[in-house]
Amino acid sequence: MKSAAASEPVLIGQPSDAELGDQLLAPVWTRLPRGFYIIMAIAGLLSLLLLALVTWTIWTGIGLWGNDIPVAWAFAIINFVWWIGIGHAGTFISAILLLLEQRWRTSINRFAEAMTLFAVVQAGMFPVLHLGRPWFLYWLFPYPAVMKVWPNFKSALPWDAAAVTTYATVSLLFWYLGLVPDLAALRDRAPGRVRRIVYGVFALGWRGSARHFQRYRIAYGLLAGLATPLVISVHSIVSADFAITQLPGWHSTIFPPYFVAGAIFSGFAMVLTLMIPVRKLYGVGNVVTMRHVENVCKMTLATGWVVIYSYACEFYLAWYGGETSEMYTMFHGWTTGPNAWVFWLSIACNMLVPQLFWSKRVRNNQWLVWVMSLAINVGMWSERFSIIVLSLQRDYLPSSWHGYRPTMVDWGILAGTIGLFTFLFMVFLRFVPFIPVQDMKELAAELRGSRASGTADDRKESA
Amino acid sequence: MPHIHRPPIHWRSLGLSGEPDEAVDEAEFPEGADRAPLAVSRRQFGKLLGASIALATGQGCTGRTPEQILPYVHQPPTVTAGVPTTYATSMMLDGYATGLLVESHEGRPTKVEGNPEHPASLGAAGVFEQAHVLGLYDPDRARRPRRDGAEVGWRQVLDRLSAPRADHGAGLRLLLEPTSSPLVHALVTQARRRMPEMKVAFHAACDRGAPIEGARLAYGRLLAPQPDLRQAQVIVSLDADLLGTMPFRLRHARHFAARRRQGGRLYVVEAMMSVTGTMADNRLQRRSRDLPRLAAALALALGALPAELVTACARVAQGADGADETWARAVADDLRGRPPGTTLIIAGERQPAALHALAYALNERLGNVADMGSPLGFTAPAIPGPRDDGAQQTLAALAGDLRAGRVDTLVTIGGNPVYDAPVDLDFAALVRHVPDTLYAGLYENETARASRWFLPLSHGLESWGDGRAYDGTVSLQQPLIRPLYSSRSPSELLAALGGVRQPDGLTLLRASFPAGVDWEDALSRGFVDGTAEPPAQVHLTPAAVAQAMGALGPPAEGSTALEIGFYLSPTVHDGRFANNAWLQELPTPVGKLTWDNAALLAPRTAQQLGVSDGDRVQVTVAGRSVSAPALVIPGHAAGSVSLWLGYGRHGAERLAEGVGVSAYHLRTSAAPWFSDGQAVKIAGRHELAVTQRHWTMHGRPIALAATREVWRRDPKVAEAHRGVQPSFFGPPQRTPALRLADPSAGPQWAMAIDTSVCIGCNACMVACQAENNVLVVGKAGVLVSREMHWLRIDTYFQGTPEAPTVVHQPMLCQHCEHAPCEYVCPVNATVHSPDGLNEMVYNRCVGTRFCSNNCPYKVRRFNWFDWSERQAANQGVVRMQRNPAVTVRERGVMEKCSYCVQRIRRAEITAREQQREIARDEVVTACQQACPTGAIVFGSLNDEASRVAALRRDPRSYEVLHELGTRPRTTYLLRLDHPNPEVT
Amino acid sequence: MAGLFPPWSDTALRVCLCLMAGGAVGALAFPMVYARTPEGQDRENPLVQPVAFDHRHHVQDDGIDCRYCHTDVETAASAGMPATEVCMGCHAQIWERSPLLAPVRQSYFSGQPLRWNRVHDLPDFVYFDHSVHVRGGVGCVTCHGRVDRMAMVYQTAPLTMGWCLDCHRNPEGHRRPVDQVTSMTWIGGGTPPPGIAHFHEGRGVDSLTTCTACHR
Repeated sequence: MKSAAASEPVLIGQPSDAELGDQLLAPVWTRLPRGFYIIMAIAGLLSLLLLALVTWTIWTGIGLWGNDIPVAWAFAIINFVWWIGIGHAGTFISAILLLLEQRWRTSINRFAEAMTLFAVVQAGMFPVLHLGRPWFLYWLFPYPAVMKVWPNFKSALPWDAAAVTTYATVSLLFWYLGLVPDLAALRDRAPGRVRRIVYGVFALGWRGSARHFQRYRIAYGLLAGLATPLVISVHSIVSADFAITQLPGWHSTIFPPYFVAGAIFSGFAMVLTLMIPVRKLYGVGNVVTMRHVENVCKMTLATGWVVIYSYACEFYLAWYGGETSEMYTMFHGWTTGPNAWVFWLSIACNMLVPQLFWSKRVRNNQWLVWVMSLAINVGMWSERFSIIVLSLQRDYLPSSWHGYRPTMVDWGILAGTIGLFTFLFMVFLRFVPFIPVQDMKELAAELRGSRASGTADDRKESA
Repeated sequence: MPHIHRPPIHWRSLGLSGEPDEAVDEAEFPEGADRAPLAVSRRQFGKLLGASIALATGQGCTGRTPEQILPYVHQPPTVTAGVPTTYATSMMLDGYATGLLVESHEGRPTKVEGNPEHPASLGAAGVFEQAHVLGLYDPDRARRPRRDGAEVGWRQVLDRLSAPRADHGAGLRLLLEPTSSPLVHALVTQARRRMPEMKVAFHAACDRGAPIEGARLAYGRLLAPQPDLRQAQVIVSLDADLLGTMPFRLRHARHFAARRRQGGRLYVVEAMMSVTGTMADNRLQRRSRDLPRLAAALALALGALPAELVTACARVAQGADGADETWARAVADDLRGRPPGTTLIIAGERQPAALHALAYALNERLGNVADMGSPLGFTAPAIPGPRDDGAQQTLAALAGDLRAGRVDTLVTIGGNPVYDAPVDLDFAALVRHVPDTLYAGLYENETARASRWFLPLSHGLESWGDGRAYDGTVSLQQPLIRPLYSSRSPSELLAALGGVRQPDGLTLLRASFPAGVDWEDALSRGFVDGTAEPPAQVHLTPAAVAQAMGALGPPAEGSTALEIGFYLSPTVHDGRFANNAWLQELPTPVGKLTWDNAALLAPRTAQQLGVSDGDRVQVTVAGRSVSAPALVIPGHAAGSVSLWLGYGRHGAERLAEGVGVSAYHLRTSAAPWFSDGQAVKIAGRHELAVTQRHWTMHGRPIALAATREVWRRDPKVAEAHRGVQPSFFGPPQRTPALRLADPSAGPQWAMAIDTSVCIGCNACMVACQAENNVLVVGKAGVLVSREMHWLRIDTYFQGTPEAPTVVHQPMLCQHCEHAPCEYVCPVNATVHSPDGLNEMVYNRCVGTRFCSNNCPYKVRRFNWFDWSERQAANQGVVRMQRNPAVTVRERGVMEKCSYCVQRIRRAEITAREQQREIARDEVVTACQQACPTGAIVFGSLNDEASRVAALRRDPRSYEVLHELGTRPRTTYLLRLDHPNPEVT
Repeated sequence: MAGLFPPWSDTALRVCLCLMAGGAVGALAFPMVYARTPEGQDRENPLVQPVAFDHRHHVQDDGIDCRYCHTDVETAASAGMPATEVCMGCHAQIWERSPLLAPVRQSYFSGQPLRWNRVHDLPDFVYFDHSVHVRGGVGCVTCHGRVDRMAMVYQTAPLTMGWCLDCHRNPEGHRRPVDQVTSMTWIGGGTPPPGIAHFHEGRGVDSLTTCTACHR
């Protein structure tokens, strides 16, 4: 036995394929504790609230929100950036770590992908909703109109629209493709004909033949290759919504890398937020081990430092540029202006909190980690608030300065998206195996193999 | 767009203006008028105007129900479909006439402009004139006569008025607003002939008597001072708001600007910073009650005055502190240093007559008083003084009669005495005790509620009338539209009182119109040429002045009591415009307050009271108090609290209801303008809808200003803030900039604004609102900074909060050649035109608001809601005012200043049809047209000789935020002040 | 698990996938196509009018010029609809008893206007000016079609922004001598007015294609 301090392997014990299959498929048809359904119901209600508020907003106008002139963008864009950022970790784990052949990705990649998917669903809602006239959304896409006018490709927004739709499509395909073998497994094991047929239809006739596997691998690899640049490009484009302007606080060349790092940072935080309760609830500590928790913590810490560096750059450049308005916005507007506390909150949550991850004790205290992950999520939301609102509040002409106060509708929509996200995620937990059975079997096999050839670190990994 | 399906309305009967309204009892046509706009959607309504064709049902988004076209049955010869016509008329305010030219679309007045020929306008139109047209369409206007609340027919009313009286009118009292109208005075005389015992009282909230009374003291008869600011190198204003509230303000502003451009100097001494105060080269903050002291000190410093005057002044000047002395000495030196007859000392109407008399004496001393062509002349007042036949009584005397029960019938025409009479008279109670009271007004206001009979008055644009400008010029008021509701004009009612049973405005006016004057010519020009009062020969009687000054006595020394000052509101005047949405939403020139009234005080006073903006303050005068939110005003005199009149209305006007508090509750006949009082902080806060919350420029070069000394030393101050920015990418390609200096490229539009002569009067803002269908958002909207004004006036303070200098900077779309808004718009909804406009295409806009985020000037306005459907102030009959040449913007689209592109394109089309280029100064923007000082100049840069091109070459020219390289087409001219260095 | 899916399932699945893909493409393509059809542009759709006014008769048989009724077409933005008195100018003498003209007489004597249905209905945010087009030599027929052959007037041109731009980007092809403007049969010859050409010099036609030329 090893002390808790020592890191656990990525897979505890030496389960056979059958054991793995039983353990990981079981949740789909075993009954879950009442608490699960209660949470699901609450999330469902929040989703309904979202529906109601969105309808009301589209019916009446976005005047229902707190936005004003000069603060013409607020919650909608903040939520958009926040959610799409969260999505990034999923793709990062499933695509980039796959290409880097990180074994620890295997057991968490599926729900990371699911998280991505559902986060993008939330994010995708806002670019539409924040429009003054959402029913003309299609004008943002290039199509041969009888008006003979085209979108303005100099603007970041048409690219935004393209990026988000692409990202959503690829994420969906990637997630679904990975799901196919397990759907087939469900089809084969599901009790009751109906379920077997339903799963069967979605399994697209997977038989697990060598040919299937060969093509599956190719397709999966290709999609991973396709998704990888998206991790970089999508949030870079999103950052362009701000970087291409000349607004003090937005007009900054550091934004693309800064935003990507921030995205992955917040994404990993969200992974932790979801992973820890789930492994507890389903008792899958043997496949989603503390090793995974630790690794994600380390990733969070690493990306966290990139974010800190970016903050430093932003303020340094503002000072170095010596432009009076920009210096005022950054050094007075952000730090002491109206709503400045949000900025300090983001500093606390994004710069200080992650530092605790240096300690192995902390990394191994999963509940503490969980709380910290929540803090980081809040912090990243606050960061976007600071960038967008605090900058708009204080631009060039003092005569037009004005504060910003969100309305209940703003808060309701934010809560609603969180509810819908949770709801979708729980549906996912309920109906498909959230740990890729197929890949776990492979991993187990690999570990067995490596034990045979027996290299030191491998032995450690599967002690 | 949403559409309300209603039966069609026909506009035919609206076409002819000024037809006598035959029907006496029923409002035959008018009922339709207020329903009409609801019958069609906003923009379609515009189309309706444009085609003089009424629409039946709207064409919905599905576009399947066809629109209907209703042609005339008999086409009026004067009307060409969609081509507006302009009529000359006048607006009466405070009894004086201002000449206007009003644009009419198929018989619907839509836009007011100044009458260039009229002495009171000189082509300019102030906020009240501009908003006049909205008042016509006010949905809260009274619609039909009532008696004890029940509707009655006009027949009854006229019978009641014209009924003969056995007592020869002994029990009858007539209460009117002071007026210069020859017609009204003729009709009063006529009525008197019928009822010799009848007495008449004239009452207005703003008592303009002091200057005239002052003349009586100085010259022995009632005379109106006629200052001519063109002639004055140095002006000393003792609490005189020449450019803001005084009659002839538009003319004064024009002349002041003309003089200031050549480097005049203006001293202002006042408590609350007025529009005039913001233009002062040297401004001194003093409580209103300290002004006699200061004037006396000035008199002593000037010297060479009659002995008795000196002694009197010496008494009054007691207790003048060091600052007063230095100021007086410096100013006196300055005045003496000038050639005789080139300066002007003028006292404000808020000050006692004695001070005016002294001012006249000082002007005599400086040789400023001579016949016309000198800084100060005198004429007989346009508003005649008390009648010699003893028929006239003061409001106080009238109140006495009412109290004594000597009156059985009180006829009040116009005004709102129950609301604005001095509080000590308790007029409301008195009126209620009169057996029979008739009140005629535009609204069923406070007075209407206290009276038994209510008679709806016709609006100035609905009725015939006349009046005289401040200089006496007889001006005609011709209607542009038949009365919307069942209403009558004041002259018609007076005629009825005189026994005419079928009074008709036109007939009455023609009858009183002097024979031998060309009626048609007068009508087309709006006034009778050469009817200005001739200059009066005057001879000063110093003894009288000295006596009057002596009567003022030395100031009550050590009186530490706060001074409570009352001021006419710069937006709602004395309360008569309280229901005018444009004016309520108009930020006050100083304080930028909308939809509210506040206790204005100096930073130091606020400190002493421990209040900040929005804290409630209880203001008490002689035991009566009101509670108002505090608003700190830099440059306000310490030890004084100022209140605007005209708020706290409780009539039938829905918009005005509950807006602000009424300062009239504190105002006594003894102290109409200022008096001692107390102010204490009380619990509670009140949100003030202020449009500009930050007064300093944080050291940024936004609104440049310099003194002439600095300027002489370094005329390159502005140079760093104009011209082409160096760029990595070389000179700009394919931007309109390239078309400059290429006349064949056609006009390149640009605007130049001279902040040296911008007095911040807001005329441009209202003009823009009227011309461009800018909607109102209400207090809630302003509170969250969602006002829609395309043009705002930023006012910055520099120096100390106690004695700041001011710059007004009208801020509108700068039409940047490198517009930051353009490249971020995802759908090309804002693009650049070949003639240099930054175009905003509402129908292409999807409302991302990215453009607003990227606009460094924050001049873009967003339709957060469908304001025209959501705001009561934009609904109903108000829609008849909309300009058919401008799209009414839908919910969810961005909008902004367009340089009045509809006027540009109209001129372009005309030029095209006539095969010529657009002439110089052919295109005039609404703001430019309204500006009384001509601070705004618009034109083409490709025309080297155009005024705008010249102003761009001026060394004072600069671009706001030049360092951003946006290359604005709107440039500014640095403000030059000419302060007296001796004054500390 | 044998028999869970019959052998043809794969084919069915493939067909379904194809249909889904096709449906997606179709959903995108359909509106774009429809917007280019007469139905989508509400063309060729004669509106029933309160009076059965027949342009064929008045133009061809009587040879009345367009401007006789549409009087303002050369001077104002709106071409103008004839006042009832204009109709009565003739029809007080001829067909003065015709039941077809009952509505006209009714309008004339009651003072209630006739209510025509608008055939050429531009969006409310478009500021079209007849006079500048007519004076610039754009013929009536160019936009309104052979009205002289219409029993009931209907819209022939698409009246889409793209269609407007075709002419605004290259007006030269579409202009004629001013005296030919109302001719329904002009087929070339004569010189158009110099108006636009004169405005072209150094400026191109962009003053015609800039947004605020039509949208204000």
